[in-house]
Amino acid sequence: MSQKVEVDFGLCESNGVCMGIIPEVFDLDDEDYLHVLQDDVTPDNEQQIKEAVRQCPRQAIAIRDE
Amino acid sequence: MPAAGHRHPRRVKSAEREQVTTSQLVFDPFSEEYFDDPWEIYRRMREEAPVYYNSEQDFYALSRHTDVAAAFKDYETFSSAYGLDLAMVKAGEKAPFKMIILMDPPEHRQMRSLVNKVFTPRAIANLKSMVVETIDQCFRAADPARFDVVQEFTAFFPVEVITRMLGVPEDRRQQVRQWVDTSLHREPGQVEMSPEGMQAIAEAMGLYFELIQKRRAQPEDDMFTRLVQAEIEREDGQKEKLDDVEIAGFATLLGGAGAETVTKLIGTAAVTFARFPDQWQKLLDDRSLIPAAVEELLRYEGPVQYNVRRSMKEVTLHGVTIPAGKPVFLLGGSANRDPEAFDDADTFDIDRDRTQAQNLGFGYGVHSCLGAALARMESTIALERLLDFMPRYEVLWDECRRVAMQNVAGWSHVPVRVLK
Repeated sequence: MSQKVEVDFGLCESNGVCMGIIPEVFDLDDEDYLHVLQDDVTPDNEQQIKEAVRQCPRQAIAIRDE
Repeated sequence: MPAAGHRHPRRVKSAEREQVTTSQLVFDPFSEEYFDDPWEIYRRMREEAPVYYNSEQDFYALSRHTDVAAAFKDYETFSSAYGLDLAMVKAGEKAPFKMIILMDPPEHRQMRSLVNKVFTPRAIANLKSMVVETIDQCFRAADPARFDVVQEFTAFFPVEVITRMLGVPEDRRQQVRQWVDTSLHREPGQVEMSPEGMQAIAEAMGLYFELIQKRRAQPEDDMFTRLVQAEIEREDGQKEKLDDVEIAGFATLLGGAGAETVTKLIGTAAVTFARFPDQWQKLLDDRSLIPAAVEELLRYEGPVQYNVRRSMKEVTLHGVTIPAGKPVFLLGGSANRDPEAFDDADTFDIDRDRTQAQNLGFGYGVHSCLGAALARMESTIALERLLDFMPRYEVLWDECRRVAMQNVAGWSHVPVRVLK
């Protein structure tokens, strides 16, 4: 079973907190839209992604089981 | 969110404390005791009554970090649609004003999306020179022998910035702040808005209606114009423009939130840094710490101490059942001092580990502060200027005055003397 990052773009307001925590996964473009560069949750990025989930002020990020 | 508690020593059981805290625990959000020193009341609530019930006013209050954070996220159980203060929620009817702070999803999401792009960190960064210019005005005639950080500085600039963004003409901007102050002021024991408060709201609405008509006729580069032009999908799927009441509601909310909060935060900063001069010295030595200091100020004594919600169904927590339809205070100000969430929670430490628990100073979840990026930028520049102006200072304590308001806490007068 793998895990994926999921963003609710209706909630996201481009605060960029996630990008500050792990820019390899989350990126804001010039138009202020968030892109998930890499949606696999791996042992290497898991802790930082969980931190981004927790710190997102909008609660817009989730980790989903595939 | 994982419970932050298990890294920390367990909470002292209330029985062990009983001998020292035998007086009756009263949380009255309109009392002088609460305005003057909420921290001891919060501590006792967290320890003795995590689901506090006030039988006189018939409301509940949550004070522990895990409970407050969870309730902020659970908008289905804890609704915003019935009001933002005790009087409104007690009335038990859906709020008569159209404001995003008084809406639940999905309506909330639609309306908020009309304005949220104006407040992203990137959009706000473009306003920096305007904010710097507005702040610098306050120091042109500043007297180092006596400078009231609130009256001469923090009361002035945030309302200038937000009303300028809205499109209020320069000569009317400070009037907006007086209206907001009047509508939020509470005498001890006063729950309802005063007639003066009602009058202030009516006058503000009058100004906003006038500006809406002007922007409909002649668009400008401001938020009133943006809102006049915005379309929203109604329940029946039809796209429609916002009506005047909805736009004025936005302006009232943004003007109020923008005027009252940073004003309080930076006033409190002057007091807090005077009490913790080693922390001020850290900023003098290394200004890159300013953003971290802003976060710590929000945690330690944020301007918004609580939000009121309405329970939509029966909830049982810590053995207490909150019936449906009751006002529930979510005490973010207490949660931010919860020793289960933060090490040495009562210590003001700008270097603290900020990943330990969610700082609830800007709220959390769907209603988390829309203006957070603006507040952070304003506060950062404000602290920069205060460091320049008063690297060493003393507070004239006898002349400090607290505000007595609902929903926001802080100081109305903080005079300081700059030391050589």
